[in-house]
Amino acid sequence: MSENRSFFRDTVERILTDTLDKADIDLAEEKRLLPAALHDALVENGITLMLVPEEQGGIGASLGDAAAILRLIGDAAAPGPILETMLGQKLLADAGFDLADRLVSLVFAETVALPAANATQWDEAALYDVPWAQAVDHILVIAREGDAARLIVTNAGDWTAAPLADAAGEPRDNLSAASITIRSASLPNYDALLRTAGILRGAQILGAIEWSFRRTVEYAGERKQFGREIGKFQAVQQMLAELAAHLLASASITEAAAEGQSPGLVAASRSRLGDAVDATITIAHQVHGAMGFSLEYALNSRTRRLMAWRDDYGSVLHWRRALAANFTELDRETFWLGVSDAGLAQAT
Amino acid sequence: MKAANLHLELPTLTPKAEALRQEVRAFIAEERSSGRLPPPRRIGLGFDKDMSRRIAQKGWIGLTWPKQYGGQERSALERYVLNEELLAAAVPVGAHWVADRQSGPVLLKFGTDAQRRFYLPRIAAGELTFSIGMSEPESGSDLASLKARADKVDGGWRLNGRKIWTTNAHHAQYIIVLARTSVAEGSRHEGLSQLIVDMTSPGISISPIVSMAHEHDFNEVLFEDVFVGDDALIGKEGNGWNQVSAELAFERSGPERWLSSFRLISELVDVLGPDVRPSSLEELGRLISHLLSLRQLSMSVASMLQQGKSPNMEASIVKDLGTKFEQEAVRVVRNIVSAEDLIANGRAERLRALLIHAQQYAPAFTIRGGTNEILRGIIARGIGLR
Repeated sequence: MSENRSFFRDTVERILTDTLDKADIDLAEEKRLLPAALHDALVENGITLMLVPEEQGGIGASLGDAAAILRLIGDAAAPGPILETMLGQKLLADAGFDLADRLVSLVFAETVALPAANATQWDEAALYDVPWAQAVDHILVIAREGDAARLIVTNAGDWTAAPLADAAGEPRDNLSAASITIRSASLPNYDALLRTAGILRGAQILGAIEWSFRRTVEYAGERKQFGREIGKFQAVQQMLAELAAHLLASASITEAAAEGQSPGLVAASRSRLGDAVDATITIAHQVHGAMGFSLEYALNSRTRRLMAWRDDYGSVLHWRRALAANFTELDRETFWLGVSDAGLAQAT
Repeated sequence: MKAANLHLELPTLTPKAEALRQEVRAFIAEERSSGRLPPPRRIGLGFDKDMSRRIAQKGWIGLTWPKQYGGQERSALERYVLNEELLAAAVPVGAHWVADRQSGPVLLKFGTDAQRRFYLPRIAAGELTFSIGMSEPESGSDLASLKARADKVDGGWRLNGRKIWTTNAHHAQYIIVLARTSVAEGSRHEGLSQLIVDMTSPGISISPIVSMAHEHDFNEVLFEDVFVGDDALIGKEGNGWNQVSAELAFERSGPERWLSSFRLISELVDVLGPDVRPSSLEELGRLISHLLSLRQLSMSVASMLQQGKSPNMEASIVKDLGTKFEQEAVRVVRNIVSAEDLIANGRAERLRALLIHAQQYAPAFTIRGGTNEILRGIIARGIGLR
């Protein structure tokens, strides 16, 4: 691990310990309230500007560094548009726009009806599933234009929101507006942007799996039935061994994807995480018994986020199709070259 | 990792390892073009003594061993690269596989200098096939209950017992037998020893066991008053259990645990082509994502071995996941073959043959080398539950 990364990790672990507890996570759901102390600390320490180059006022950290931080954020079940702000600020910088003061939201819009390329006004605008739309300054839209992307920047206050939420209870509103003012810029590669978001969400997923695994192993060592800890029963041990294997395998490919960032590794990571998510939800809850099903117990703050995140920024099935499409034109001899070549050069 | 006792290393392959990969690919291309490596019609490790000798001539058996014993002193990651290239191309490596993977390393770790000097250069030359004498008719997963006995006699040991599921015993020059050399006083794990036995010794008889795939890989080996000299003992008398545990870690971590049915997948891809149903793409993509994850994990284990760590739990996870992946691969290939109607009316005859063989072979994946239930017990111990 690089020295920088250890520093970022130590900083964020300290911030999470100091500013976030279960009550904050619950308030985000019950009152749609961001944990203000957490987000203030992340903004003040420059964490939300990690991916912005230094010469544009950021930290210039690598995607691997950002993934390591989001893994901690996922582990802690920290609510709010943290990924969205990290990536959104980078895209604002890439497009040559001013950075936002605090938080932004961001949505990929593959099929939304868009305004004309040079328009400064967007009539009859609509967006769906927008995270924390009412808690941010700007809402960024990444729209597909052939192979390229268009970044559209809107003021959050210009939208009318129909409040909805994801499985974890975090806001994901549908937005509409008769006409709003926009700024837009072209960015080179839509699929590459989706992969970047996919890597970052993947890291968050991995963190939530990691927490669930740790907590479930601890619980199996605490809870007694038939006069002994349930973790002493082979049936429980077999389930937890299976969960450990899912965690280790998905961590290995997800770490590799965050460092290597090739289309194949990213798609493989999100596909593998999909299976790990399913196993985590099933096994962590089964081992916890009825206890884990209560709203009060912290397990659901992770497992419900796993439900919400599993198919974000490319569904599991999307990534599987994308991965397989890289291989179907290969033959019996070249197939192995595709597997062993970590670069997997073709775009997905 | 922020999770109890689970460890990962992000592997980096050196230019030397990548250069070795190209050398292996050139070797395989040469073998193919000269007709010595026809596309296989079965999965699993093929047996070809001549192929093992040609691989040995390249210096690729005992790759990591000291040069004084015939090795090349290359790294564990280089050995990993060599093995994945050979396995993915279905090169028949069965004649030297066990000797290279575990018998040699056990001798290197626990054997006397005389044993190393005698056996290791011969293994590295591709001349010796080894068998593993662990399982018995009444001792499978509960290996410590074994009954084979070696009684001390003048100048050596008299071995009696019955070993089973002994792969390649009918080809092997030597077998390393785990036998009881003294009555266990405390733990059952005490009093076991490893003996290296010449397969031509008087008193050994071999009976074939034909598998449900109609193949003769396994045997039952009977030892009746077989005399072996004092120099047959490997390591310390009574330390056999610890030695075997170390040996099984070598056995569990390698890419053969998820590449032995690779040819089935590559044959499917060959036949499939780009015009396929989305549901088939999704199944294939899922399979490939598991393959790539296992590869990362395997390389991570090789990195840890290279650093002198003992990733026993991680190796058990590779085998648990790898063998389940191989069974899953058979199911997925079968589903896609059916969905895309690939083998009806005499089409894709080789894929059909491979699929039939793989289905029959697949139950063995999660049994041989330690059942998955036993492996998960090891994992459960690793994460602190036992």
